[in-house]
Amino acid sequence: MTSRRFSDVEFGEDLPPLTPDTSIPNVTTFVKAAGMLNERFTDHEAARKQGLPGAIVPGIMSQAVMASMIHHWAPEAQVEKIDTVFRAPVLVGHPHTVTGVVTDMDDDAHTVEIDLTLENEAGETRVLGTATVRLP
Amino acid sequence: MILDLHAHSVKSDDGRAKVRNYCQWIRKKEIGIDGFVLTEHRQFDRESDYGPLAAEFDLAILKASEVETEYGHVLVFGVREPLTHALDFADIRLPLARVLEESDRHGAIAVPCHPGRTRVGMCAHVEALGVPTGVRILEVLNGGSRGREDQAAQELASAQGWLGIGGSDAHIVSHIGRCATRFPGPIADEGDLVEALRAEEFEAISWKSTT
Repeated sequence: MTSRRFSDVEFGEDLPPLTPDTSIPNVTTFVKAAGMLNERFTDHEAARKQGLPGAIVPGIMSQAVMASMIHHWAPEAQVEKIDTVFRAPVLVGHPHTVTGVVTDMDDDAHTVEIDLTLENEAGETRVLGTATVRLP
Repeated sequence: MILDLHAHSVKSDDGRAKVRNYCQWIRKKEIGIDGFVLTEHRQFDRESDYGPLAAEFDLAILKASEVETEYGHVLVFGVREPLTHALDFADIRLPLARVLEESDRHGAIAVPCHPGRTRVGMCAHVEALGVPTGVRILEVLNGGSRGREDQAAQELASAQGWLGIGGSDAHIVSHIGRCATRFPGPIADEGDLVEALRAEEFEAISWKSTT
């Protein structure tokens, strides 16, 4: 990871994609830390009984991996806002990829807007959104 | 001429894209469209004037609406003031028959969109409500479709002899132009678009990168 300054960034720049660990053990660790233990996140059978296709990654974990991708790209960035739209469940144990791309830049505020997308292996958007990020 | 017929800006409650950024993106990434249509949810955006942006980026930026009916969501192209009085665009239970009829009466054209999508698409309602009359065009390629949604839309259109359009349904900048519609001639404004759709000479196209 290298330091990234506002002057280094270009409109349309792709952030390096991130492949989050959506395994049951990792999701379990997350929901325990977040204080939101619920079988719908950690047990496929229990989730199906709740009408879900399987255990799902909690929304705040999807947001967290998006923030993580931003910090891998720019470790000194201040993430001022992450604004997400949840289109479809992110299924536990399935491969997903988080991508980001710079789609707006404010020269005065030294902030950039980043489009965020979390897709499954079929390329289907499960979560989309934007982040506002301040850079040195 | 290629237009993305389905896009949302920050004017829509779930839209996160500024129109200027759509334009910058299209030019920076050399997206193969000549313009796009803003189809804001449950409203018609009378106020915004995108003329200067259109001129600056040499893109067609047209305005339309996406309304909600018992058959799911419907794009309405060619909206003018009288139609906004005839229909309450904010009503989430508009009868599709009325949307089609009033659109026709007021020089507009209504096109059900993302028909393959659960709840908000037509396919999910056809079994219970029957195939609606008066539809001529369906959105058969949608940039936000998952699984078999576009296939279901194409099968319905094919079975009914309806034509198909494409649109990205972009809500963020980088999704613009994933799907679009190719027309044989130029389209400068909303009136031209309605005329081109009524001429029934267009094809839906997709640049979606799915594996």
